[in-house]
Amino acid sequence: MLSYIVRRLAQMVLVLVGVTFITFIIMFVVPGNPAALLAGKNATPEKVRQIEKNLGLDQPLYVQYGKFMWRLMHGDLGTSYQLDKPVSELIALNAPNTIQLAFAAVLIELLGIPLGIYSALRQYTFWDTALTTGALLIWGIPVFVLAVFMQWFFGLKLGLLPITGGGGETFLWIFPADLENLQVLILPAVTLGLIEVAYISYMQRASMLEVIRSDYIRTARAKGVPERRVVMKHGLKNALIPVLTIAGIDLGALLGGAILTETVFNRPGIGLMTFQAIGARDLPVVAGGVLFATFFYVLANLIVDLAYGYLDPRIRLEEG
Amino acid sequence: MSGTGDDKRRWRDGPLHAPLSDRGGAGDEYFGQPSRDGVEQAEPMPSGEPGMIVGRKPLGLWADTWRRLKRNRLALVGLAIIIVFLAVGLAETISSAVGFNLAPYDPNMVNYELSPEGLGSPPAWDHPFGTDYLGRDIFSRVLVATRISLLVGVIAVAISLVIGLTAGPLAGYYGGAFDSVVMRIADIFFAFPYILFVLLLVTVLGGGFVNVFIAIGILSWATYARLVRSSVLSVRKMEFIEAARAQGASDVRIIFRHVLPNSMAPVYVAIAMGVGGAIVAEAALSFLGIGIQPPDASWGKMISDNLSYLLAGRWWMVFFPALALVVTVFGFISFGNGLRDATDPKLKE
Repeated sequence: MLSYIVRRLAQMVLVLVGVTFITFIIMFVVPGNPAALLAGKNATPEKVRQIEKNLGLDQPLYVQYGKFMWRLMHGDLGTSYQLDKPVSELIALNAPNTIQLAFAAVLIELLGIPLGIYSALRQYTFWDTALTTGALLIWGIPVFVLAVFMQWFFGLKLGLLPITGGGGETFLWIFPADLENLQVLILPAVTLGLIEVAYISYMQRASMLEVIRSDYIRTARAKGVPERRVVMKHGLKNALIPVLTIAGIDLGALLGGAILTETVFNRPGIGLMTFQAIGARDLPVVAGGVLFATFFYVLANLIVDLAYGYLDPRIRLEEG
Repeated sequence: MSGTGDDKRRWRDGPLHAPLSDRGGAGDEYFGQPSRDGVEQAEPMPSGEPGMIVGRKPLGLWADTWRRLKRNRLALVGLAIIIVFLAVGLAETISSAVGFNLAPYDPNMVNYELSPEGLGSPPAWDHPFGTDYLGRDIFSRVLVATRISLLVGVIAVAISLVIGLTAGPLAGYYGGAFDSVVMRIADIFFAFPYILFVLLLVTVLGGGFVNVFIAIGILSWATYARLVRSSVLSVRKMEFIEAARAQGASDVRIIFRHVLPNSMAPVYVAIAMGVGGAIVAEAALSFLGIGIQPPDASWGKMISDNLSYLLAGRWWMVFFPALALVVTVFGFISFGNGLRDATDPKLKE
């Protein structure tokens, strides 16, 4: 078990190194000189060269990357070209928004669990077909379309909620600290969460169907265990595991920022920060954002795998 | 199901849930299953036909899958949508190649008379889907854009298939250091935030829709490589592979002729989901302002161009392209899910 964790952590480091390296290569060959962008349109070539030198952009790729890694190992993510601020400061500024959104969306998506169970227990009835069709349709809606619909309906038509913004006080980075902050969180969180609800309920249905056809459920029924108990106690326990892993991975992925949702709702966050940095050729910020997102995604994967192995001893972690 | 970490879903700002997914390497047990079914059912099997039910003729993989698939109404609806989508997309591609306009109007023709106050006109008999802010016929544009969606689906999936179906089987068959290297690279591609990667790549390659297709395709290979690899792992020790080797077949022949065809069941599911995912991906990129350049129409581009008019209550400008997109993606997803259920031995009664 310990050796498995160590190996996975090593793989995790490898992935993070690989991801930053790919980011560096891409940003290196990307057309558009960040120094020229910074210097402005009327800058003299000398001035551009001076900025290049200050930023270390005149050095070869491997030197730049080496310096980046060296600083990273000392806990320094570098300084933004564009904003002249440490990247870690920018991340600390944007992260609470993203973290709130991720947790809220994942909480909402858990509503898919009861829906999926209901669907599975009423397989092939009208409500099962309706729920499953609805889930697949919502699953296919691009998030930005749903986001704009939400803005139009709840923001403009009903006038219930603010349609843009974010970035108030938080409690522990996870919970909105005041009413205003909660209000701007609702629409983006529901948008992201609703699509996940569809996915989760579909998966919960599939997982429940698989479980209630298994031998041990038949045994429980044959023993005369009441149906309610069979479903809630014997069935649900096993059927929940795969769905909870999905929610766990979702959380990891959403912690990395939700570019589309953040763009529509004009909500500051890691996704929007990185997206804008790509446009500005702001390599340190792009690398920092990519690293942040990948870290949580990989970490969530690891935790979920460990939890899975613990909850379901049939899965042997040492394999693969 | 153990669906986690897949691609399409990263387009909705989450991770994508691969159809048969994958939990960072430890979930491999899950993959092998459907393919084992494929193996047992596959037609030309040099060695022993296992566990046949007495009195019933064994069905081939396809016949057996179809038998189960056709009981799933949602999957059939999905299949019908896919067929219509392919037919329209192909007709559109062919007719535009010979210079014939299939749509009732020129999709790029600007007509300000049809857009009073620059707000378009609502659906009417002449223009069933209405017109947009430039007075262009939305029905014609939605129709023509089918070709772009078909192209993005086919090209992006083809690229990831070519890479994935080369790297995956080789890694699974040879194992050892080669396997480790390939799979660690796959890990990196898998963990890279999806939208960010494609955004970065498109920034390098430059806009233009072909580059978008390539960028979408390049990232998704890891999904197919992992699927096939784990299938190959479960197939490669089977007796018929040994028989082929005993007959003197070369490694390449064994891999691509015997192992791969018997490892494909989960891949077909992934392809169906992948096409749907690529279509959503294109829409997302168009929304972020990358991809199809004006005046060409794609569903995603139409949605993003017209979004601001939705807030002004001009719903038809967004509704119809969004409907086309959602229905098409629904078709691929429900067919893909049905196909998975039909090939999953655990769901067999």
